[in-house]
Amino acid sequence: MTLGTWFALCIALVAAAELVRALRHRAIRQERWRRFFRHRTTSWGLGILAFLIIVALAAPLIAPFDPNRQLDIVHLKNQAPSWTFLFGTDVLSRDVWSRTVYGARVSLGIGALGALLAVSLGTLVGALAGYYQRWVDAILMRGVDVGLALPRIFILLMAVALWDGLPFAALVLAIGLTSWFGTSRLVRAEVLSLRQRDFVVAARALGAGSGRVIFRHVLPNAAAPIIVSAALGVGNVLLLEASLSFLGIGIKPPDPTWGNMIADNASSIYTAAWSTLFPGLAISLVVMSLNAVADGVRDALDPRTDGP
Amino acid sequence: MLSAMLRRFHLTSFIFLAVAALAPAGCERRGGCTGPNCGTLIDAAVTEPPTLLPPSTEDIVANDIGEQLFLKLADVGMSTNTVGDEDFQPLLAQKWEWDGPLTLVFHLDPRARWQDGPRVTAADVEFTFNAYTDSAVGSPFRPKLHRIASVTQRDSLTTVFRFKEKYPEMFYDAVYHMRILPAHLLRPVPRDQWKTAAFGRQPVGDGPYRFVRWQAAQSIELVADSTFFLGRPGIRRLIWRITPNLQVAVQQAIADEADVREQLVTPDNVARARAAPQLSVYPFRGSVYTLLLFNLRASDDTTKPHPIFSDRTLRRALSMAVDRASLVKSALGDLGKVPPGPMSELLGIWDPDIRQLPFDTALAARILNGQGWRDHDGDGIRDKDGQPLAFHILVPTSSVLRRQYARLLQEQFRALGVHVEIDELEPSVVNQRAATGKFDTIILSRQNDPSPSSGIAQSWTRAGFGGSNFGRYYSADFEQLVDRAVTATSRDQARALWRRAMETVNADAPGVFLYALENVGAVHKRIENVQFRPDSWAALLRTWRIPPDRMIDRDRVER
Amino acid sequence: MMGAAWLLRRLVASIAIIFAVVTFVFILIHAAPGKPCAGQPEDVDPAVCAQLNRQFGLDRSIPEQYWRYVVALAQGNLGYSFSLRRPVADAIAETIPFTLQLAGAALLLDFLLGLGLGIYQAGRVNRLPDVIIGNATLFIYSLPTFWLALLLLLVFGEKLGWFPVGGASDPVFCPVVDSLYCVRDRLWHLVLPAATLGLVGAAGTARFQRAAMLDVATQDYVRTARAKGVPERRVVWRHQLRNALLSFITRFGLAFPFLLTGAVLIETIFAWPGMGRLAFEAILTRDYSLVTATALVASTMVVGGNLLADMLLGLADPRLRVRAGADVEALTA
Repeated sequence: MTLGTWFALCIALVAAAELVRALRHRAIRQERWRRFFRHRTTSWGLGILAFLIIVALAAPLIAPFDPNRQLDIVHLKNQAPSWTFLFGTDVLSRDVWSRTVYGARVSLGIGALGALLAVSLGTLVGALAGYYQRWVDAILMRGVDVGLALPRIFILLMAVALWDGLPFAALVLAIGLTSWFGTSRLVRAEVLSLRQRDFVVAARALGAGSGRVIFRHVLPNAAAPIIVSAALGVGNVLLLEASLSFLGIGIKPPDPTWGNMIADNASSIYTAAWSTLFPGLAISLVVMSLNAVADGVRDALDPRTDGP
Repeated sequence: MLSAMLRRFHLTSFIFLAVAALAPAGCERRGGCTGPNCGTLIDAAVTEPPTLLPPSTEDIVANDIGEQLFLKLADVGMSTNTVGDEDFQPLLAQKWEWDGPLTLVFHLDPRARWQDGPRVTAADVEFTFNAYTDSAVGSPFRPKLHRIASVTQRDSLTTVFRFKEKYPEMFYDAVYHMRILPAHLLRPVPRDQWKTAAFGRQPVGDGPYRFVRWQAAQSIELVADSTFFLGRPGIRRLIWRITPNLQVAVQQAIADEADVREQLVTPDNVARARAAPQLSVYPFRGSVYTLLLFNLRASDDTTKPHPIFSDRTLRRALSMAVDRASLVKSALGDLGKVPPGPMSELLGIWDPDIRQLPFDTALAARILNGQGWRDHDGDGIRDKDGQPLAFHILVPTSSVLRRQYARLLQEQFRALGVHVEIDELEPSVVNQRAATGKFDTIILSRQNDPSPSSGIAQSWTRAGFGGSNFGRYYSADFEQLVDRAVTATSRDQARALWRRAMETVNADAPGVFLYALENVGAVHKRIENVQFRPDSWAALLRTWRIPPDRMIDRDRVER
Repeated sequence: MMGAAWLLRRLVASIAIIFAVVTFVFILIHAAPGKPCAGQPEDVDPAVCAQLNRQFGLDRSIPEQYWRYVVALAQGNLGYSFSLRRPVADAIAETIPFTLQLAGAALLLDFLLGLGLGIYQAGRVNRLPDVIIGNATLFIYSLPTFWLALLLLLVFGEKLGWFPVGGASDPVFCPVVDSLYCVRDRLWHLVLPAATLGLVGAAGTARFQRAAMLDVATQDYVRTARAKGVPERRVVWRHQLRNALLSFITRFGLAFPFLLTGAVLIETIFAWPGMGRLAFEAILTRDYSLVTATALVASTMVVGGNLLADMLLGLADPRLRVRAGADVEALTA
C-alpha cells in the first residue's frame, strides 16, 4: 500500500460516513426515515455498503497493484499479510487486497444486476398472477412451480454447457432468470391480500385501468417485502457466484470476483488462509449489511412492527 | 400434545438417552484375525472407474485394481527396462523361449487358476489377444499391439506369438499391454457390448486378489486369495475408497482413515503428509507429463492451417517466452521437473542435456517484431494487419494444477504482448474438443508407458491423426527417426536416435512441455515392504505386509 | 374446500409439472454442445463411436428421441446410463436413501435448532443474547457452504477426530448395515454433511422464526389471551409453536429442491453418494438418460413433497391455504 492509496482509502471511509450522516439528518424530518434509522445496525449496514460501493468505483485509486499482475511467482507466492500487501498474496503471487477491491466491482455488479433482474421478473409475474387471478394465475403459478421444482445449480450447469463458459452478461442473465420464482410467490400473496383493500376498490371504481392500479396503487404498498427480497437476493447471488466458481463455472480468469477468489485458493485454505478469508469476509460483510438495511426498510415501511 | 410431552421429558434428557443407547454399541468390535496375513489397506481414490474389464478402459484406478485381479504373462521389473527380456518377472508364463527371430513361445504356469475354478490355458491367451485387437471392442490398447501378427495355442499350456518384424521391444509388447482374460466367461458376451458388460462390474480373474463388492460411488473391495500360486498376498483386504475431492482424500490419509494416497500432487499436501505422525512419504519417478499443445490446424476446420500455430517460427517464439523453470518452482516446488521433451522421468530416454528452446523473452520479442507483430494501436497487444495476436487455452475444470498453470501462462504471454483467454470446461467436453480439433491450445496431461515406442508414436506421428495426435503435428524427419529408434538393434543406438528425435520435436515446438510430475505417495507407517514401481504403483501390492505386532483395529476384521 | 376435487386437481397439476420439467431438461441437455460419443472420455475409433451412438439411439433426431423416451417411460423403463454402464433405475435407486438421509437430517437440524434459537431470541428480544445470536446466525447464513464444509472437516474431522472425514459409511467394518454398531457408524458419517446444510438452514429459520414470533406477539388473539389472564407460556407454546411448524412446512417446499440435487458441493466434498453428485456428473458427461431421469425423480419428490405439505397445511389451518406463501421470504439457496 502506498501513501496515495492509504489516502484514497481514508477518503472513502470518510465519504461513506458523511453519506450516512447526511441521510440521518433527513431522518429528523420524516417519520419513515426515523423508523429506518431506529436501530444502530442499520446505520452501520448502510455505511458499510456505501463504503464498499465507493471503494468499488474508486478501485484504481485504492488498489496499489494491478489485480491480475503476478508479481513474482517464485518468491511472492502465498505471502502473509504485511504493510505492502495488506491482505497478503495468493497462490499466483497476486495482491489479495487489490483483487478484493477490484473484485468488489464485479461481485457487487453481478449481485445488484442479478437481484434486480430476478426481483423485476418475480414482481411482474407475481403481480399479474395476484391481480388477474383465475387462469392467468393458474398458468403463471404452475410455471413457477416448474421453475421451483428444479434446483438452480442444475439449470445453471446446463446453461454453462450451452454457452461454453459464461461471460459476465450471460452469468447475470442466467442467475437472474433462475432466481425469481420465490419472489413471484411472495408478491402474488401480497397482491392477493391488497387487491381487496379499499383504496384499490376505489381506484377501480374511479375507472383506473388495471396497469395503473397495479403500478400506482398495489405495488407501492407491497414494496416492503419486495425490497427486502431484493436485498436478500443480492446476498444469495453473491453466494451462488462463489459456488459456481468452486464448481469451475463462473467469471473467466484472470478477472477477480470474490467468489472465484475463494474458489481458486480453496486448495490453500489450510496453509494460506488469508487468500480465501478476506473475500469470504467481504461477502459476509455485504450480506450482513444488506440484512441490516433490509430490516430497516421493513421497519420503515411496515407500521406493524412496533413490537415489545 | 407436544407441549405436554416436552413438559414431562426435557428435550435434552431425551437426546441424552438416545446417545447413551447408541454409545455402548460403539464398543462392539468384530474380528479376531491374527497372524501375518491379516490386514486391511484403504486407498483414498479420487475417481471411480467406469468398468473393471481391462481392455475397455485406460482409467488409472481401473488399472490399479486390474493389477490385483488379472495377471499378465510377465511384467517389467523395478528398473522398468523394456528392452529384451532379462529384466522381466514371470507371472502367468513360467518360462519362454524364442523359436526363430519372429516367434516367441510362452509356457504357462500349470498352477494358475481362474477364481471360479478352471485352469488358465493358452486358449485364454489367444482369446485375449483377439479381443484386444478387435475393433468392435474398441480397446485403447489396440494400437500398441499392431506389431504382433498372431497369437495361437500349441497346446493347453503353450502359446505362440508371431511378430511382423524384429525389433528390441518385442517381448515388452507381447506381455505388457494385455491382461489375460477368462475366455469361458467372456466368449458369450458380444464384442461390441464389452464396454458395458456386467463382467466389468463383477470381474473374475486369476490374480492375487478376488473381487468382493463394488458399492457404487463409495468403495470397491478386494480380498486376498490365500491359494495364489505365486505366494499368498501379505495384506488380506484391499479397499478403494472413492473421495472425489483430492484435498479431502489427502485429509482422510492424514486423519488415519485411509492407508494409502499414491499421489499427493501439491507441495502443500506433501508438507501436511510429512507432518502426520502415522504416515511415511515415498517419492518415486513420475510417469505423467503435462504440456500446452498447439493446434497446427484451424480450430474450425482441420483441413486448413491454423492462422498462428501453423507458423513454425511463431510457435518457437511463443515457446521461448515461457519461463518453464519458474512456473514449475511456483506451482510444484520440488515436486516437478521441466521435461526435456514430451516425456516423463519414467522413460529411459530422459536426458536433461537434450537440446531444447531456451527461455529468452528478448529473442522472442525480436522474432515477433521481425514477423510484423507489433503493438500498433497501443493497447498492449501485438497485432498485424488489424488482427490481434490472441488465442484461447482450453483446460478441464477437473484439474486444479492445470487451471493454475493456465493462469500462469496467461500472464507469461501477456508480458510478451499476446492476449490469451482461458476456457475452463468440463472434462468430457474438453476431450471431445481435443479429439475433433476444436481448440487453439490445450493443456494436456499424458501418462507414459515404460517405453517411448508406443505412446510417442501415437501422439506425434501421422498415425495419430484422429487419434491422440490432437494438434496434428507431422514431421517426416521425426517419423523416420522414430522408426529407426524403435527398430534399432543396440540400446545405445536407440538412445542416440531417440535423442535426435526429441531434439527435432523440440525444435519444431508443437507445444510447450510444461512439467513432469515427481510422484510422492503417502503410506501408513505400519505397512512394511512398500515398493512403488514407477509405471504402476499398485503392481507390487501383494508383497506389502503388516507385521502382527503393528496391526490396528481395522486389520483385525475377519469376514 | 378440502376434498376429492381439490386433490384431483392438484394431482393432475403435479403430473403436468413433472412432465414439463422433464421435457425442459430433455431439450436443454440435448441442445447442449458436446455430443460425447456415448460418454466415452477417451478418443475412440470413429467407427466404434458411431456404433455406440447407434446402440444408444443417439443418432436420431431430437423429437424422435424424445418420443422414444416418453414411450419407454410409460413402460416403466428409465433407460440405460452409458457413463455408469448400468441401468439408470439402479443407479438412482442406490442414491435415494442417502439423499433422503441427508435431506432429512439437515431439515431436522434446521427445524429444531432454528426454532429453538428463534424462540429463545424472541423471548429475550433486543437484549444481549438476542443480539449475539442474531449476528451469529447472520454470519453463518452469509458463508459459502463449501467454505463451511471445509472448515468443519478440518476442525471436527481432522484436528479433533470426533467425526469421520467424508464418506457415508466405514468401508472396513460396515459396508452393509448389519448391526447397531453400523447404525451408529452411519449416523456419525451423516453428522458433518448434515450439519453443514442444517446450520445454514437453521440460521435462516432462526431469523425468520424470531420475526414471526415478534409478529404474532402483537396480534390480537395473543393480547386477548394475555388480557384474560391465560398463562403466557401456554400462549407461546400452543399458538406459536403450531404456527412455526406450519410456516416451516411452507418454507420446506422451497428448500427441498436444493437439498435433493443442489447439494452437489456438499456431496462432492464429503464424498456423500447422493443424487446431487449423480446428477452433476451426469450433466458433465452428457449422459442424457441419467440427467432426464434424475430430473424426473427429483421433481417428483419435490412436487410430491409440496403436495403433502399443502395437504398438511390445509388440514391444519384453512386460512393458510389462501395465504400460502404470504409469510414466505425468498429464502432460496
